[in-house]
Amino acid sequence: MPGLVSKPQELRSRWSARIGDCVQSLGWSHDGRLLAAASISGPIHVFDAQSGLEIVSFPGHGFGASSLSWHPREPTFASAGQDGKLRIWDLNRPGECLALEAGAAWADRVAWSPSGAYLASAAGRKLRVWTPAGEMLRDYPAHSSTIADIAWRPNTDELSSASYGQVQFWSPERDEPLKKFEWKGSMLRLAWSPNGQALATGNQDSTVHFWFVQTGKDLQMWGYPAKIRELAWDAKSRYLATGGSSSIVVWDCSGKGPANTKPLTLQFHDKLLSQLTFQPRGPLLASGCGGGIVALWHVGRKDQALAVEWLDDAVSQLVWSPDEKTLAAGDESGIIRLFQAPNP
Amino acid sequence: MATDQRVPVTVLTGFLGSGKTTLLNRILTENHGKRIAVIENEFGEVGVDQELVIGAEEEIFEMNNGCICCTVRGDLIRILGNLMKRRDKFDYILVETTGMADPGPVAQTFFVDDEMQQKLTLDGIVTLVDAKHVWQHIDDSDEVKEQIAFADVLILNKIDLVTPAEVEKLKARVHSMNSAAKIYTAQDAVIGMDAVLNVGGFNLDRAMEVDPKFMEPEYPFEWGGVYDLPAGKHRFTLLDGPDPAMEVALFPTPGGLKDVEMQAVLAFSGEPEEVAKQSTWEFDVPTAGRYALFTQHHPDEFEARVEGFTPLETHEYKPDHEHDEEVSSVGITTPGDLDQKKFQRWLSNLLQTQGPDIFRMKGVLSMQGLAQRFVFQGVHMLFDGRPDRDWKPGERKNQLIFIGRNLDREKLTEGFRTCLA
Repeated sequence: MPGLVSKPQELRSRWSARIGDCVQSLGWSHDGRLLAAASISGPIHVFDAQSGLEIVSFPGHGFGASSLSWHPREPTFASAGQDGKLRIWDLNRPGECLALEAGAAWADRVAWSPSGAYLASAAGRKLRVWTPAGEMLRDYPAHSSTIADIAWRPNTDELSSASYGQVQFWSPERDEPLKKFEWKGSMLRLAWSPNGQALATGNQDSTVHFWFVQTGKDLQMWGYPAKIRELAWDAKSRYLATGGSSSIVVWDCSGKGPANTKPLTLQFHDKLLSQLTFQPRGPLLASGCGGGIVALWHVGRKDQALAVEWLDDAVSQLVWSPDEKTLAAGDESGIIRLFQAPNP
Repeated sequence: MATDQRVPVTVLTGFLGSGKTTLLNRILTENHGKRIAVIENEFGEVGVDQELVIGAEEEIFEMNNGCICCTVRGDLIRILGNLMKRRDKFDYILVETTGMADPGPVAQTFFVDDEMQQKLTLDGIVTLVDAKHVWQHIDDSDEVKEQIAFADVLILNKIDLVTPAEVEKLKARVHSMNSAAKIYTAQDAVIGMDAVLNVGGFNLDRAMEVDPKFMEPEYPFEWGGVYDLPAGKHRFTLLDGPDPAMEVALFPTPGGLKDVEMQAVLAFSGEPEEVAKQSTWEFDVPTAGRYALFTQHHPDEFEARVEGFTPLETHEYKPDHEHDEEVSSVGITTPGDLDQKKFQRWLSNLLQTQGPDIFRMKGVLSMQGLAQRFVFQGVHMLFDGRPDRDWKPGERKNQLIFIGRNLDREKLTEGFRTCLA
């Protein structure tokens, strides 16, 4: 019904900046005033979100930065990189940096707990938990293979890790896992539903695995053309958007879950998806692909993109501001652009 | 066709002490003007400043994707995925495996991961072989056999430590295991860069450009010699040997061995003379002249000789029963067109049942109704094939080769023939 297809509007751009190499990680400070961008070659740049001016740049990590995470309440962020270090940067003391040993040559993941009391790092097979002051609280026994992703369960101090063959749940209080879900496959990404009841993993073998955490009941979604590194839950924990294709596949996880249901597919992208992220409270989904397209969707309401824009290179990062009015995008050529969210 | 923008990758395998590090250092210091990234498993051996050297810890993942089951290197996917996003691109990537590594997972990594496929192309597997010490492992180490069997290029290194005869023996042995690989000899891993980089081992267009000799017929004898013999009785004597007896056949030949090879093949498939060890075969030569003697095994194995005479010309034939019963190559050359459906069914069934034992396969096929050559190749169960250029007049035929463990030559050949249209 071509008459009903409305042309997507153009995304309104606020500002753009260059950091020189692939934008590996982007993060907003808790108050939405600052935006930190880590480049794949190592340096980390901090921008004023309003003006787009660079406030400070840090040397970051020798041989490359891999991820960064802002403290949920302080003007402080942590970063991990291929110098094997976990670093804590305090914007009030920009000359200093706390450098901590993450436990392996490549530190891959870093994440503050929702309360801000703990900082978790993953490097190779080592999972560690730290205080904000950089004191190591827990050095868990090595995982049986490299940790691919970590995530705190929403609103709790419970940490989860994904590696080959298992998802494990950890407490900062003890060395042994609280529980584990096993499944034979290489899991690449972990995503908690915001209500903390369901957990999804995106996998190397082109499947999505889904667990109801309370019961341990699991499901598997397959038929994707490529490995899945893109997972996003909407604020209501109803929709799980997944990548692994140039179409966005959205599962409705309400009621008894997505078993035997037909997912929604959203099409606009011309290359494999590289980023998916829902607004923290609102209904909009932002998607990015290898072809440089950024698109916004109102999932469940409309199957056409609301607004689209083309970046210079493959989309590497998409992050909503805390007030969810602005979307920050980074691409593989090192350009950062800020877009204003349209009204849904 | 658009030029391939993907970065080529060479995988370097070989036992500890075979010279991998020496070769790696040689490649890195050679003035080739290329930016090379090295991913090595054994830390701290390569030390060249201007190049990027990354240490990796081998991590093998099983991937079960529908009907295809394979193993891949998770660490490589992570490291290479990161490397390819950087702005400072590399012209070439070298992946060094540990001495004991099975090359299968490394090769498969480049076939199954979409990100790897998009940005990288596996150029070839280069295996270094220690010409002196390989004999300690070649009979009982699965890793040595697999490294030889997977290779596109075999470098027999350290030949200064062995005699030329031993080099020939090793060449024959590795050729019997992997007849599709290019074989080079080297001392101190000195070898031209074009032998190692850009070899096109996994390039479909170049799949069958390797030494066409691997299609040479199989002979049921290992050795032939030409003698000038006077008329009368002669004695061929065997001392002790590894087998109870061996088969021999004698033919008059005005020319050389070549003229009577086919006759000898027929004789061996009929009822050749059988000579027990520690015994003598007496034979009559009716008229003086030139005679060719073919023996089932090499005469040296039995210290066998024609008493009083030395051969004017000798040739060692590739044995049809491999020394290594386990790892071998099966080459099939057949005229005729293939029925695509039948072939697909046969191949998928073969890979389902014998995938783990088939290390590599390559082929150029003549499909019914297709004006182009159909080229294909695979690693274990993974398979890639497509039409390439048009056949030239009179050129159409099927050529394929399997390299693997416990391959049944007759069954493969027979199975393949059933796919003919």
